[in-house]
Amino acid sequence: MKAPAPSTDVMRDRTVRRILAFFAVISAVLVAIAVVSVRNIQRSAASSDWVNHTHAVILEVNDVLSAVRVGDAAVLTYVVTGDPQSRVAGREAFSDVDEHLAAAKALTRNEPAQHEEVARLDTLAAKRIEFSGELLAARQSGQPDAVRVLLASDAGEEALADLQRTAENLTNEEMNLLADRDRTSFLQAQMTRWTVWSGVVVNLILLGGVVWLISDDIAARRRAAAVLQEANDVLEARVRERTASLTAANQQLVIENLERSWLGQSQEHQIRYNQLIIDSISDLVFVLTKALNISRINPAVVHLTGFESQDLIHQPLSRVARLLAEPRAAAPLVNPIARALVEGRDLRDQPAEVEDRNGKATPARLSVYPLRDRDKVVGGVVILRTGGPNL
Amino acid sequence: MNKHILIVDDEASVRDLLERFLTGAGFRVTAVATAAEAIRSVREDPPQLIISDLQLEDSDGLEMIAKLKATLPATPVMLLTGVLFDSRVVQEVLSGKVSSYIEKTSSLARILEEAKRLTQT
Repeated sequence: MKAPAPSTDVMRDRTVRRILAFFAVISAVLVAIAVVSVRNIQRSAASSDWVNHTHAVILEVNDVLSAVRVGDAAVLTYVVTGDPQSRVAGREAFSDVDEHLAAAKALTRNEPAQHEEVARLDTLAAKRIEFSGELLAARQSGQPDAVRVLLASDAGEEALADLQRTAENLTNEEMNLLADRDRTSFLQAQMTRWTVWSGVVVNLILLGGVVWLISDDIAARRRAAAVLQEANDVLEARVRERTASLTAANQQLVIENLERSWLGQSQEHQIRYNQLIIDSISDLVFVLTKALNISRINPAVVHLTGFESQDLIHQPLSRVARLLAEPRAAAPLVNPIARALVEGRDLRDQPAEVEDRNGKATPARLSVYPLRDRDKVVGGVVILRTGGPNL
Repeated sequence: MNKHILIVDDEASVRDLLERFLTGAGFRVTAVATAAEAIRSVREDPPQLIISDLQLEDSDGLEMIAKLKATLPATPVMLLTGVLFDSRVVQEVLSGKVSSYIEKTSSLARILEEAKRLTQT
């Protein structure tokens, strides 16, 4: 037995609920991807700030080192040549050192280790600037001996090397930080890519599920429609069969009604036709029962005797007609006619007379014919001829 | 196209019943009451079968049939009458004048069967 098809409304509700659930999950995944992506973008932006910051620190430190060297070289040039431009250049360079150190300190104020290195760099640079200041002062005051003593006592390259190492240490630390932050930034980018692609894959899978669900729903609807169509076809076929059956029965009924009407009219026609024939006969016709009582007469009897039908019906035939062979007073026709009917034979052309309502007798010739219903004699027909030969 | 039958009978009830029955059986039927109408109808719309009563108001059916045969010698004629003939009369008198003799007491199915037989080409 075929399972009943689910109703379209129920199917639609269930499918709509499933589709809505799928889209809710898809939306949730999209929101999750967006949140993670925004957060990673924010982290990337922060990392980028850190990279810029690190480069700025390195740049400032390198500028400090360069400015110290430029200033140191300009002071020495001034000491040797007495060129005032070199002196000015030296002072400007040392002035730049202060600016770069101030910037480096500001940049590293939230990083204790780096800040400490900058402070050390500041100390070394300050010593070198102080020495150059003493040298300039000695040169400007025209004390060559003092200049020579200062130059002789100058650690020179060693101090610059110390300054260089400190700057390099600081730069290396910053580069290490930069590498760490680059790695972190890369991982964040990877995380973002993984998150986005994972989300895309999950959403594609979910969309595939939605497509499958809709396809399944459409297929179910088609099956339901086919089942419905099949049921309709069966119903229509039954209706057609029933209609054809009713139409055939109706046609048969119409035919039967026509046949009945035809039979009725033909019988009526035949009876009327026969009656006309009988009524047109000039001989007297009596239809008798087995007891020899009159059951029917033709108009010739009424015409000759003057009796009406109601005067003779159920009356004995002897009231109006008798065989002449019998004595007139003694019911003369009973025996020969009754005997003929009992024996089922004709009695033909016997002398007789007919008496009218005034008692006047008219000679006639009488014949009797048994009236049969199938094989039984149920009465007789008496014909009296009042004209013609033998009278 | 439906076969055309001409019915000639002076009784309206006979004409009506026959017309309804034969129309329902797929024939095209013209029903008239007199010999004059029958002769006119045959000229205007020749039938494939003539069904006629014997006793008509304005003519003898057999005489009318003889006139119609002059116009349509190949058209079969069915004599449908309440006058009952014995088989010898039918054989000797009527067989040369009509194609078929049926008593009015016969059933409509019998009349239809005979009409179909006579209109077969």
